[in-house]
Formats: sequence, structure tokens, C-alpha cells
Amino acid sequence: MGLRDKGLGREARLSSPSPKPPSPRPKKMPAQITMPQLSDTMTEGTLVKWLIKEGDSVKAGQIVAEVETDKATMEMESFEAGTLAAILVPAGGRAAVGASIAIVAKAGESVEDAKKGAQKDAQKDTRGAASSAASEAPAKAQAAESSAPVAASASTSTATLDAPTRDATNGHSERIKASPLARRIAADLGVDLSIVSGTGPGGRIVQNDVLGHSASASTGGAAGAKAGQSSPMPQRLAGGEVEKIPLTKMRATIASRLQQAKQQIPHIYVSIDIDMEAVASLREKLNQQLEAEKIRISVADFIAKACATALKKHPGVNAHFDDKNNQIIRYGDVHLGSAVALPDGLIVPVLRSIDQMGWKEIRVRSADLFDRAKRQKLKREEMSGATFTITNLGLWGVTNFQAIVNPPEVAILAVAAAEKRAVVRDGQVVARSTMTVTLSTDHRAVDGALAADFLKTLKGLLEEPALMLV
Amino acid sequence: MPVIEFREALRAAMTEEMERDKNVFLMGEEVGQYQGAYKVSKGMLEKFGPQRVLDTPISESGFSGLGVGAAMCGLRPIVEFMSWSFTLVCLDQLVNNAANVRYMSGGQVKVPIVFRGGNGIAHQLGATHSHRVETIYTRIPGLIVVSPSTPADAKGLLKSAIRCDDPVIFLESEKVLGDKGEVPDDINFTLPIGVANVERTGKDVTILSYGRTLIRAVRPAIKQLESEGFDPEVIDIRTLRPLDIATIAASIKKTNRCVIVDEDYGYCGMGVGIIGKLHKLCFDDLDAPIERIASDEIPVPFNHFQEEAMIPSVERVIEGVKEVMYRK
Repeated sequence: MGLRDKGLGREARLSSPSPKPPSPRPKKMPAQITMPQLSDTMTEGTLVKWLIKEGDSVKAGQIVAEVETDKATMEMESFEAGTLAAILVPAGGRAAVGASIAIVAKAGESVEDAKKGAQKDAQKDTRGAASSAASEAPAKAQAAESSAPVAASASTSTATLDAPTRDATNGHSERIKASPLARRIAADLGVDLSIVSGTGPGGRIVQNDVLGHSASASTGGAAGAKAGQSSPMPQRLAGGEVEKIPLTKMRATIASRLQQAKQQIPHIYVSIDIDMEAVASLREKLNQQLEAEKIRISVADFIAKACATALKKHPGVNAHFDDKNNQIIRYGDVHLGSAVALPDGLIVPVLRSIDQMGWKEIRVRSADLFDRAKRQKLKREEMSGATFTITNLGLWGVTNFQAIVNPPEVAILAVAAAEKRAVVRDGQVVARSTMTVTLSTDHRAVDGALAADFLKTLKGLLEEPALMLV
Repeated sequence: MPVIEFREALRAAMTEEMERDKNVFLMGEEVGQYQGAYKVSKGMLEKFGPQRVLDTPISESGFSGLGVGAAMCGLRPIVEFMSWSFTLVCLDQLVNNAANVRYMSGGQVKVPIVFRGGNGIAHQLGATHSHRVETIYTRIPGLIVVSPSTPADAKGLLKSAIRCDDPVIFLESEKVLGDKGEVPDDINFTLPIGVANVERTGKDVTILSYGRTLIRAVRPAIKQLESEGFDPEVIDIRTLRPLDIATIAASIKKTNRCVIVDEDYGYCGMGVGIIGKLHKLCFDDLDAPIERIASDEIPVPFNHFQEEAMIPSVERVIEGVKEVMYRK
């Protein structure tokens, strides 16, 4: 049983950060719909309304009832597919969290068998034993039982808050059939095979199924493959359980590279606040002009261009530290890396020779590059050779942060959000759009003074954007 | 480059090597006066005389053993079998003696000998004359097993086999002896043993085959697959032992699919041995189980149509490719 994301109040979601379902359901038990715990304080729920009746077929993901908790009335969906064999808690009834409220007969299982199976399980249950023994009509009896002393049943129920199972959500059997290649690609792309449907013999998932799923998932937005379409809610871990996630190739690479970088590079961090009013108004004007071309230059594009210009002025920052040959390599071109978040990691696409581009070209090329980065369709040369990197968490509204230098580069710029801040200007406190950026540098190559000088230039360029043109 | 028949390519290889090295000689049933049962040795008796082109009695166990002994004494015999089916009576000479003498003598005695002749199903020879012997010999360490498909490969590989210091099982097919092809007439032309030939590069599926099956079943199938938009990679294995597993695995890593086509039986057949090696090497690269197109598991029928029906056909190769590509 689950809680549907759509139509669910923000409050309800926020108030249940760590649901505490009872112990997992024994495997052989017939499929049951149980009362979910929808908030930390919820111990029971009231069944406002059943939307299906006994004998109806149930699809996985179908909304089957409305439930009132101590906070709100919410829609519930079934994670089981089959036929609704019995309603155990009628409309208006109450049930403890974790108690069964309905039984679902799965494919190949008769409604009667499902009921009997449920009854047997109920008999093992200390609560159910007395009331439902050997009855031909266990459903109603259990219904009465379940809706009565809720506090007692909560602790003894064997039912659980059903996490979405593979069986229910995808029609896969317990073991997922996938070709070895499909498994390897899925692991590389971070695709959960349980939400991919297989087109091979017997439902085997093959290469094309994974690639097709990955492509459709990433066009769905930043949520990416992991979120999946058919999984309405992220899986929740039962209390006391842990989930062990093997490192994907990407994760392992991030782990080893960044650990090495942070351990071996003596980092220094230098921050500066930049007034972004001029960029905002220029951007407004330019975008009006570019409207016909359907191009919208972003603040990030201005920052990228400003960095490129500043790097030309301070070549010591546009460099690689070559510790093998004890030298610093300065570059005439600026190849700008930009960190792009992926569902399980990040990737740094590189816009080559950005110093030769105007704002518009930067926008068009970045859009293509970032789009392919998210779909993990970059060519090798588009992921390497950066001379400087920008990482931008402005979208998340952070006020400042520090990044780890990506060797052999010697500096990385962490860009926070531009926000209205109270600043003193001409002796007056005024609200101005302000952004804090932090330059992390490898002190072996870039000293504090150079870092500060670079930031001063950057600040000057962004506060007077026309300077980028001269 | 001259265009000659497969049998002429074999003859050229033997002739050139016999001219180059006086220790090389040919023996077998009717290789001399009758000019060879399949005319492979035509004219060689006249050219080299009865000392070096020897007609033998109909006794494979006798003359194959004689060949092994001659090789141990420093000669380089070429022993022709009219059919590899007849070698079932001389397994002791080939498997026990030829393959093991070098090892058993601690390397003191080598056995530089080539056993050659027609292997597999020819045409209406019946069950007892249609055996495919490749797995019998390929599984034996100490032997080298070669099975060429084209006249040029036949010449290049037979010359290398004659120069080889270990016993070589050289498998021909009567059905392709009349096939013509360009063959280098350079007396220094040889082809290395143990190297497969990628005869068509492609990205969709790796097709492995050898010998006449490659010519008769795979090549026509490729034409049709191409017209349907498939892009198969075709590898002529050429040497069955030692197998060029690196070339094969590299191809499968690229195509993620493999179809093996051979005329052997399916169960415990040649393809099974190759799959055994590939399974571990390529497991994570495979998007479908490796498909085998092999002969039906029946004694080879005498009837023409039944015989045709049991061996890998063009249609079955095409089906197999579509199977591994999930394009049925």
C-alpha cells in the first residue's frame, strides 16, 4: 500500500520523513493491502471510502481508497495486482497502521484461496486467532476485528507497509530476467532493472530495453532513470533495515578522484560578493532581442563568459599542475568544464575554446552539451581537457559553498545563488541582487593573492558586463 | 594473381614444399598412379617419383603409423586420407602416438607430420563415410587442427602445416575441391597457423564458421542479411586448435551477439567447445545466448534430400542471426 505523490499535501510528505512500518510480511502470505503509516505520529487511519468493491480487478498503481489520517485525507493506491478478494475494513472503519484492510487474489490464485490463505495467516496472528477461526466468512469477521482495538493490533500485526515490489509494479517475477549485457549497461547507467520491461523471450530484458528506458527516463527531466515512471514513490526502507548499494562505475570514479584531490591538493578558498543587478538588466534586454530566436541567455552564461575573460587576464589560474614533471602548464585557450548533476553522480562536460565565444554561442552550445551530458551521450573529448571548472548550486538557493579542485586543473569556482540582499550603497542600506562565489585553488600553483586578483577581475566584469566585450 | 582450384592450391603447396625440402614426401591410398582419389596429387608421382609419392595399402592404421615413425626419424611426411572418416581405425597412431611423442620423450623426439584429407559430409557417401572428426582431434593437446575454406587459405596454411614441427590435422572438404579463387604463386607465401580471418567486419552480430559450411551456408546468408539491413561480422576460424580466441572475443565485445555455424553435431560438437571458452570471456558482453547452427543429431542419411536437410542451411543461419538480434 502506498501513498500517491500526486495530490499529496506538502505537509504530509514533510511530516513523514522516516515512516516506521512493522516487520516485513512473510513471503507465502496472500497479497494484502495494509494501512500505511503516513506520518510519524499516525497510529491508525480511518477508511473514508473504498473506490473499488470485492470482485473488482486491481491494477498495480490503481487508487483503491481514501484514507483519513491525523493530518489529512489522502488517496491510497494498491501495489498489488489481481482481484480484490475481500475488504476487511469497510468504509468508515478504522485500522491500525500495518493492519490488513483488504486481500488481493493474485493471478492464478482463486478468490477463495486468497481468503483462506489470509485466514490461515490471521490465525497465526495472536490478534486474529480468536475471532476468525475456521469461519467460512472470515472477511467480515476480520473486518470487525481489525477495526476494533487498534492500539493492541499495531504491535502484533504481521502485515506491513508494503514497499512497491517488483512483482506488483512491473509484472516481473521474483528474479529479473536480463541479458548479461543489459545488466552491465543498467549498472553503468544506474538504471533499476525492476522498472524496465523486457521485450526478449519470456520477458528477458535486453540491451535495447535498457537503452530505451534510459533515454525516455532522462528526457523526463533531472529525476532521471532511478525515479522511473512506474514507481510512484521512492522505496522506503523498513525500520531497522539497511540498504546496501554497490558503487556504480561513476560513483567509484568520483569517490577515488575526489578523495585523491582533497587529500593531495592543498586547497585554499577565497570568496567574494558580486552585485548582479547589471547582469540582470542586461540579460533582460538581450533576451527580449533574442526572443524571436527562442534563445534565453542565462545568468550562468554571463558567469561563464566572465570567467573566460578573467582567465585570459590571469593565465596562472587557467593552468594545470603537472606534478610528475614539476611544472605548471598554462593554456592559451580556455576550455571550461561545468559540473552537471546526474541521478547518481555528476559529469563535467567541457565547452572548448569558450574564450572565443559570445554570450549567444555559449548559450546554444551549452544547451546542447548539457542536454547530452544528462543523457550520458557525451564523446570522450567532451568530458576531458578542461582548463578551469565552474560548479553552480545557485538553482538550489545556497548562499555559498566550497568545491574540490579537479586535478590537474588548479582552480574551481563555486557559484551560489544570486539573491536580494541588504547592502550598503552610498551610505544607504538598499536591496541589491547579490551573489557569492568562492574560488578553490591548488595552493601549489595559485596563491591567495592571485586567487583574490582573479575574483576582483571577475567581480568587475560581472558588475560592468560591457567590459567583457573589450 | 592466378585463379586456381582448391585442389590445385593444395597441390601447389605440397609441390612447392617438396621442392624446397627433400625430407617432405606424400603417401596415401591412390595418391600416385591413380593421381589421387580426388586428383589433388595429380602429376606429383611423375614429378617426384615413387620414392616421394607413395601408394599405400588400404590400411590407415598401418600407413599413418608408418608416417609417425618416419617423422620421428627426421622426415616430414604428408599423409593423405581418402576420408577422415577412415581415421577412426587409427586413433591410436594419431591421438596416442603423434600427439604425445614429443611430450613423452621429454622434447627429444618431434613429430613433424601433416595428416590431410576430406572431412565431413560430402555427397551421398552414407553414414560411415560422412563423419566430422574435428572435435575428436581438436580436443587433443599436442595436435594442431586446421580447416581452410578458400583456395588461398588452403595453400598458405598447408605450407605452414608442412613446415610445422608438430603434427597437424588438416581438414579439407571434398565439396569445395573444385572451388576457384585467387591464390598467390609466390613460393614464400604462407599463412600463420592460429590466426582467424575476419572476412567481413560488421557491428550487429559475430558469425563464426569454417571450412565448407562458411562457403555454402554463411556467405549466401550474409548476402540476404545485408539486403535486410543487417551488418554482421564474419570470422573464418581457420585454425580450430589453437583457437584464435582473442580475435573472436574482441569481435563479440563489439557486436554483443554470436552465432556459430558448423557442420558438426550440436551436442558435444565443435561449437560447444568454442562456446565453452567464450562463455567466461564474454559473459558480460552478451545480449543473447550464443546461437549454434549445427547438424541434426542423426546418422548421416544416404538420401540426397535428407542429407541436405540435416546440415546447416542458409535459412537456418539467417534465422539464427535474427534470433540473437531479437528480430524474429
